[in-house]
Amino acid sequence: MALTELTQEQQAFLEQPFESKLLLIGSAGSGKTTAAVERLKSLVGNGIPARSVLILVPQRSLAIPYVEAVQNAGFPAGGEPAVVTLGGLGQRMISLFWPMISKTSGFAKPNFPPQFLTLESAQYYMAQVIQPFLQKGYFENISIDPNRLYSQILDNINKAAVVGFPLGEIGERLKKAWSGEASRLITYDQAQECAVEFRKFCLKNNLLDYSLQFELFTGTLWKTLLCHEYLIRNYRHLIYDNIEEDVPVAHDLVSEWLPEMDSALLIRDTAGGFRSFLGADPDSAQNLGNLYEQIHFSRSLNQSEGIKSFQSALHYAIQDRKAPESDSSDWQDAFEVQSFRFYPEMMDWTVDRISLLLQQEVRPDEIAVLTPYLSDSLRFSLFNRFELKGIPVKTFRPSRSLKDEPVTRALLSLAKIAYPQWHMIPSKQDIRFALTQSIAGADLIRADLLAQTLYQPGKPDGPFAPFEQIRPEMQSRITFSIGERYERLRQWLIEFRSRQVNELDIFLSSIFGEILSQEGFDFHQNLEAAAVTARLVESALKFRRAVLVENVPLQIPIGKEYTNLLDRGLIAAQSVSSWRQQMQANAVLLTPAFTFLMSNRPVRYQFWLDVGSHGWWTRLDQPLTQPYVLSRQWDPSMRWSHDFEVVNNQKNLDRLVSGLLSRCREKVFLGISGMNEQGNEERGELVNAVQVLRRKMIAMGSKVEHV
Amino acid sequence: MFNPRLHQAEVLEYGGGWMGVSAVPGSGKTHTLSALAARLILEGQLQSDQEVLIVTLVNSAVDNFSSRIAGFVKASGLLENVGYRVRTLHGLAHDIVRESPDIAGVSDQFSIIDDGESTKMIDEITAAYLREHPELTEVYITSSADDSSSSRLGAQWNSLLNSINSSFISQAKDLQAEPGDIRKALEKRKFHDPLIEMGIEVYTQYQRGLHFRNAVDFTDLIRMAYTVLRSDPQYLERLRFRWPYVLEDEAQDSSYLQEQILRLLIGPSGNWVRVGDPNQAIYETFTTANPKYLKEFLDTPGVIRRELPNSGRSNLSIINLANQLIRWTESGHPVETLRKSLTSPYIEPAPPGDPQPNPPDSPNAIYVHKNKLKPDRELEVVINSLKSWLPGNTDKSVAVLVPIAKRGERVVEELDGAGIKVVEMLKSSQSTRKTAKMIQKLLLSLADPSSPPKCSNAFQEIYQSPQHNVEDNERVERLAMLLRKTLKLEDFFYPFSGRSLTALFDASDLDESDIALLDDFRKKMVRWQAASSLPIDQLVLTLAQDLFTTPADLALTHKFALLLEFSAANHPEYKLVDFADELREIASNERRFIGFSEEETGIDPAKHKGEVFVLTYHKAKGLEWDRVYLLSVNNYDFPSAVEGDEYLSEKWFVKDHANLEAETLAKLKAVVGEDIPALHTSTNDATLQAREDYAAERLRLFYVGITRARENLIITWNSGKRDACTMSLPLQAMLAWMENNNAPD
Repeated sequence: MALTELTQEQQAFLEQPFESKLLLIGSAGSGKTTAAVERLKSLVGNGIPARSVLILVPQRSLAIPYVEAVQNAGFPAGGEPAVVTLGGLGQRMISLFWPMISKTSGFAKPNFPPQFLTLESAQYYMAQVIQPFLQKGYFENISIDPNRLYSQILDNINKAAVVGFPLGEIGERLKKAWSGEASRLITYDQAQECAVEFRKFCLKNNLLDYSLQFELFTGTLWKTLLCHEYLIRNYRHLIYDNIEEDVPVAHDLVSEWLPEMDSALLIRDTAGGFRSFLGADPDSAQNLGNLYEQIHFSRSLNQSEGIKSFQSALHYAIQDRKAPESDSSDWQDAFEVQSFRFYPEMMDWTVDRISLLLQQEVRPDEIAVLTPYLSDSLRFSLFNRFELKGIPVKTFRPSRSLKDEPVTRALLSLAKIAYPQWHMIPSKQDIRFALTQSIAGADLIRADLLAQTLYQPGKPDGPFAPFEQIRPEMQSRITFSIGERYERLRQWLIEFRSRQVNELDIFLSSIFGEILSQEGFDFHQNLEAAAVTARLVESALKFRRAVLVENVPLQIPIGKEYTNLLDRGLIAAQSVSSWRQQMQANAVLLTPAFTFLMSNRPVRYQFWLDVGSHGWWTRLDQPLTQPYVLSRQWDPSMRWSHDFEVVNNQKNLDRLVSGLLSRCREKVFLGISGMNEQGNEERGELVNAVQVLRRKMIAMGSKVEHV
Repeated sequence: MFNPRLHQAEVLEYGGGWMGVSAVPGSGKTHTLSALAARLILEGQLQSDQEVLIVTLVNSAVDNFSSRIAGFVKASGLLENVGYRVRTLHGLAHDIVRESPDIAGVSDQFSIIDDGESTKMIDEITAAYLREHPELTEVYITSSADDSSSSRLGAQWNSLLNSINSSFISQAKDLQAEPGDIRKALEKRKFHDPLIEMGIEVYTQYQRGLHFRNAVDFTDLIRMAYTVLRSDPQYLERLRFRWPYVLEDEAQDSSYLQEQILRLLIGPSGNWVRVGDPNQAIYETFTTANPKYLKEFLDTPGVIRRELPNSGRSNLSIINLANQLIRWTESGHPVETLRKSLTSPYIEPAPPGDPQPNPPDSPNAIYVHKNKLKPDRELEVVINSLKSWLPGNTDKSVAVLVPIAKRGERVVEELDGAGIKVVEMLKSSQSTRKTAKMIQKLLLSLADPSSPPKCSNAFQEIYQSPQHNVEDNERVERLAMLLRKTLKLEDFFYPFSGRSLTALFDASDLDESDIALLDDFRKKMVRWQAASSLPIDQLVLTLAQDLFTTPADLALTHKFALLLEFSAANHPEYKLVDFADELREIASNERRFIGFSEEETGIDPAKHKGEVFVLTYHKAKGLEWDRVYLLSVNNYDFPSAVEGDEYLSEKWFVKDHANLEAETLAKLKAVVGEDIPALHTSTNDATLQAREDYAAERLRLFYVGITRARENLIITWNSGKRDACTMSLPLQAMLAWMENNNAPD
């Protein structure tokens, strides 16, 4: 790696003595993490053992710059620092000290090893725990899809752990703050009951979900002499980045640990706090390390002057406050607004505008298209438009269900063929679809002809008949090139069945590696397909490892159980590793605004779509949980009210917009659709703020181009 | 920019406080109110999160207001969509509830069932109730209704009870009374009434059904909005801040709850402009809408009163006739209590030099067919008149107005038979079926992509439209035939060889327009085929974005999408064909599924010159034509509460010919309002009162009919099914006046 060019601020920072404890404060894009990475290198380069350095981050995506630095050839040799989240560290400690705590912590089988649950396997077990309650009529008076139900109850349990209140208090907290219809109160009681039941289930089966790991580590292990000593002895130097995005109990633990460290660097983003709905607590982060020497980075390395003053102008507009007179007005060229009546017009404009930028030699990966939500329909329609213009595009939507990925559905249909013993027979339509997804050049009609003439479910020697079996006329309609690829796929499936491989993840990586990624097939040089496949393999593998234990016996093949789970939408589409890979592609990024923030990669141009949507402002509707009420800052004697809601939404909008602009170098394009996808008119707070700027421009006598 | 008349300018000078505006038909109130809204937005009175709120009656008016205001705002360089909100009362209530579903007691994903679905539910519950309570029949049906007419009787009796229950439920909701409340009040007074008891029971079952579907009906929406506003002062405060100006259109049709909701939203010191014409209040029967709210408002001390008396719509003869109807009502109506049914201001023509002057007057402007006609003969007369008039007037607009949709269907049949082009505005579900069918055919083709017939059907469904001209539709049909005969669709959609369309179809006579159309279809279809793997709701939304551009269609398809998503969740095994089946049911109306809005988006008569509009008097409100036919102006459709008149709501088979609906509603009101004397009055009081209310509303309806015409007005009447009806009293009076004034007949 070429030496990074450092600013004066950064250089001054690097001159701080090694054995010092520092608090580095600055806005996004001011070069804090870059400086921290440099400090890490110079610590290790100057003889401090890498193994004694602990790098803590609140979320794995935020660890990427450190991981990349450590993996880089330029990193000083000899050992690696630990780059972890506090949860990850906890998991390691539990594995290490399990015999010490398993007996005292209420586990039914203390002599058996612990089983760590992923989010997915936790949901899987939660579904089993809740089933009998649902049959008793629980949660009848709210309408919510089951996956959201599981995840919100898990969310509650996790909140108790990361905020630091007893699991049994969830329901009471939510009830006390509730000011709506009384009928909701019973729902909170039910959620409480399910949470307790889940915990019992986990203790009975040695299952450790995130909350239990976190509690065991921070509440029990950390307080034992053995573990405490172990940590203190092993880690002498701490770099803790994005502390504003971490949870209060993490802050508690670190503040106890800090005095023992030889050196520490805490890094706080002044405008962060985006993960507050996940329990992040910027207020509690404020108290962390505030006695240490504070260093402020004030310069933004990303933004143009125009964007910077646009950020400020928009901030005042959102607050509906008058900007200081001295405020510069060069923000006018930093943004462009277009207003349309319908969604498709807005999408056309977006793609046309981007195509124009690309003609001006802008790299595709310098452009991000951001939306409050990203529905499948919107994603499809935009992708389609980009494709027609030959513009490369990548997307990331972590909360999306993996089953909704076309690639997943295609792979699962093929898996069902490969495992006839599952008795899951794909329909003709599924097969047709799988063929369009896997065979290059197979359009829907030709794939349909293939499926109609050659797919015969239930045949003992395999459901696919050979291509040569059909009439020549039909062969030529399908085309021989497609027929040849079909044959290769068919032969491969026959051959695979003879291998007697039971593990689904192995099937998936084999079919990908041996056939679908080859020339003539659709996954060939297709980054997105590769990323989804990788994610699917990873997920299936983890599931197999999590569930395949003696603890909870399983009646059906594990691959089939996993496939069932996927079909029910329980598995999320993407993980950090697949994301990292994809982010590197030179393509226009299409993603929800929040996800873009968490990826922390600035771009030159941003497109904000559907600026009128309330989605920029309101929080997710979560009938069973409430991030503010379950936070540490909440006063339990209060009731949650409309005013709180509005104040918080306003604050979040301000934070979101400011966060986005901190990650924008040159210009923002705002697209407004009078009517949303559902035919409703939406005029949210963001578009109102834009109107304020518009008014100012008119008042200043600027020529306003026709919108 | 808008160049206002003197009186309009007075309205535009509005600075704040409460203002009431009486506007006559055709006085440009939409334009004036839009200009006022734009002025408030542009003058920068509003903070960034404030809006001017415009409340109007029907969805077509929403579009009309929105586009006008957008025009004004855009011209000034601001974002056209921001700073105002135009809503019907239902739309407004929906916004209020949606932002605060918790307090309203619904989840955020509640759905709204429309009047069609609601009616169907009530009908089913009523039928079940009637099976369990056969004694009802004996209590109410006269013994003279003999067995020979029993099948006809049965159907009419059922429909009467359905109608009673439907009104009972919406009236009870308007009065904020739950079924339990009514029952308690009933028990407290030890009052017994079989129809009230039926109402309570049906109401209870109906609410249960709604709850089960996580749905609300239109009245619930309004009731919930009212509850939310009353129970959450913080939220109310915020909304008051958000809407510092409320402009209310069609205020004469304001219902009790609308009035209450707006009063809450405006607060004691808010700014409220109410514009309306008490003479055009035509939605009062069995509702709580009442022009008295507007009249009382106008008389409130401190309210600024303005009038918009000038109208450039009609010629002088028609204006005079409308004014004479007011004058006669005020001083000549034989029923004293009906003399306030129509009131001044009188219509004044546009002042000299006005940019929109009245059409020139002509001696033949008004024609009344005096002679008695049988119903069929009346149609014949009208059709003949149209036949002879149309050829020489292809640049004019014309409408036939009828009292009820059923009569309109007959008119449409006759016109079709005579080969006359019709714009039918009778069935509100028309576009629902079209929308559903389009998507259904498309799903079928996507499910079976190599089938030429299915592809051809989809093509035809998408491109053929009653709004297109004959030539375009013939083109679509021809190309659809071509597609049907194409055996290899893959060569059309995904050609490997560079064959031209002409070669592919083996048809050399494709012209440029044909090729353009096929090309458009090909591009879209390729996209849709790629989208066919999306989850069904997302697929439908994607198709909708390509197919539709009206808010009503988009909202409707969104509703389909939700419905299909629900089926998908319950039937994971469902394939495209199954979803298409669901939609087929909707399309063929097996399941009634009328669009979100009751009204269709407004059609501009000026764009359909040379075609004949057929619609009800009610639906004609807000529209105008060069020539208008008013049908059925007899003493049954337009009674006057005088001896000899007959009433739609007084059924022949009911004992004493009582108006059971009116009687039941009056009792309901008395029970809920604890009005003990009213509970025990004699049976016929409500019936008599209902006659007067109905007569008053019908007078206004007649007035609305007259004021739709710009140049020509033709009035006919018929003698009814039993040949017993006479010319309606107001028409007689008008005729007498015209003769005295030597007006041509």
